[in-house]
Amino acid sequence: MTDRNKFKRLIIMLGLTLACALITPWLGHHLTSPNVILRPMADDVDAIIFWQIRLPRVLLSLLAGAGLSLGGVVFQALFRNPLATPFTLGVASGASLGVTLAIVTGIHFSLLGLSGTSLAALSGAIISIVLVYGIARATGKTSPSTMLLGGVAISFFFSSLILLLQYLSDPGSSFRVLHWLMGDLSRASIDSVLQLAPFVISGIIIVSTLHRELNLLSITDDIAASRGVNVQRTQMLLFFAVSLMVAGIITVCGPIGFVGIMAPHICRLLIGPNHRFLIPASILFGASFLALCDTLARNISSTAEVPVGIVTAILGGPFFLWLLLSKNRLAS
Amino acid sequence: MQTNVQNDPKHIIQALGLTLRIGSTQLLDDASLAISTGERLAIVGPNGAGKTTLIRCLLGLTQPNSGSIKVNGCLLSQTSRAELARQIAYVPQQLAERISFTAIEFINMSRYAQGSGAGIHQLDEYGAQAIENAIERTGISHLKHQSLSTMSGGERQRVNIAAALAQQTPILILDEPTAHLDPKQRELIHELLTNITQDQEITLMVITHDLNWASANFDRIIGMKDGQIMIDAQPNAFMQKEVLMQVFETELLLHPHPETGRPMVLPNSSTNLQLKP
Repeated sequence: MTDRNKFKRLIIMLGLTLACALITPWLGHHLTSPNVILRPMADDVDAIIFWQIRLPRVLLSLLAGAGLSLGGVVFQALFRNPLATPFTLGVASGASLGVTLAIVTGIHFSLLGLSGTSLAALSGAIISIVLVYGIARATGKTSPSTMLLGGVAISFFFSSLILLLQYLSDPGSSFRVLHWLMGDLSRASIDSVLQLAPFVISGIIIVSTLHRELNLLSITDDIAASRGVNVQRTQMLLFFAVSLMVAGIITVCGPIGFVGIMAPHICRLLIGPNHRFLIPASILFGASFLALCDTLARNISSTAEVPVGIVTAILGGPFFLWLLLSKNRLAS
Repeated sequence: MQTNVQNDPKHIIQALGLTLRIGSTQLLDDASLAISTGERLAIVGPNGAGKTTLIRCLLGLTQPNSGSIKVNGCLLSQTSRAELARQIAYVPQQLAERISFTAIEFINMSRYAQGSGAGIHQLDEYGAQAIENAIERTGISHLKHQSLSTMSGGERQRVNIAAALAQQTPILILDEPTAHLDPKQRELIHELLTNITQDQEITLMVITHDLNWASANFDRIIGMKDGQIMIDAQPNAFMQKEVLMQVFETELLLHPHPETGRPMVLPNSSTNLQLKP
């Protein structure tokens, strides 16, 4: 595939993402009249549903999808491991432990417009980032493989603590924790969009400027260094930028699975391994994929919403397998 | 037998008293060497002798516990990664099969340090020319748009070398460039490297187990054992029974090459006989 063709594919993906952003806010059990578009400040039911519920939710899913997919791309390149996800370094389990503690202990508070669970999630995520980095530093080398092992160990430890807390808590709290763990966009509001946007946008900017470094790092650290990359500094910058972005996403949406591991692979099949194209492709694909999944999650059942994390896995798995098989058939 | 390393401006690489110990393993033990501009140097020695550690130190990939390294007159510890990448190009032993970049994508990446450093960077005309030359020299024009993952070992190794050439550095370091290749591919790579050093003023450092190649094509051979540089000599002086015995601790049969007259190692017939009762 030539660079020209890759550009064409990116333009098509951009078009599809825009279409997705424009269409999905209109889809739902309640049909809103088209003229709500003209009155964002009105307080009738249609306007409130469109402007205060659906639009923030679509924007939130676009932001979260873009960030999770991009996080997967970066970690898979840094760890040179196709199974790496944005959650590999324990960010998700740290956040989940924070939320579990907040729910089980029943502490209610809010600070700077963030709810108690959000603050607990953010603190948990940041603690796990600091722990993983600290473990790697303590062993004397902050190499990706040390951090990977540290992250996996922290994840297992935190996950068992979560299970223990759930086991000891009452069924109500236990269910709330479980629901949060599945990832959920139903708490979306304009405020949550504004809270998340700086995390995701700064993550996207930092990663985008490092596409050449990511290409080299995805080969080996030695090649990257011998070609002139300051390997350790770049790795740390990417590690912190992505971890903070993912911490922001988990804080607002919970640990939505699957997007972060599969979207990068799907994009690599569509556009190749060059991060110059892979980064924008994964941002666009992740954003539109999560927006579509959430639209389905809102509409599958007329009585209750399905957590979006379930839809991403049910839809994404077969789609990925189909792409993998058809690509192999074409190649042979 | 140690080289007398002095501060000589014609030395493009100077390493002095490199020592590295990890746990109880002595990887480098007071290793010193100096290489002149344009010199072709082979590093040989048994497995675990410290050959790779030595070149990793020169490339700044491993920090020695003590000792100093100067590249082109500048202390390595005070040289940025990008500046070093403009001095030394490195060809690792082999490229992993999992790498799915195309040859041209991989070679383009070699111009990293020559670009603006960060951000969106397009190749300038000079860089494009360097890449074109490297592709032509290594004879891989037909593989340009092929993914590395679908290439044979020999093809991948030529791309590996082309990428280092595109870096346009005065020094080229290769780690066992023919270790995994069949005899024909090995010859091709040997010929390629010989041509490169004949046409250009490139200082070449190669780790190899191929003593005959080292004897025939290099200006100097360094023999390492237990992290020490045991011998640093010209091929004729190096290819002596006693010297080889000292480095490899095995008796090797030597015979002059029918055309060049340089000493060559032959298969030891008595060893073979022992295997076939």
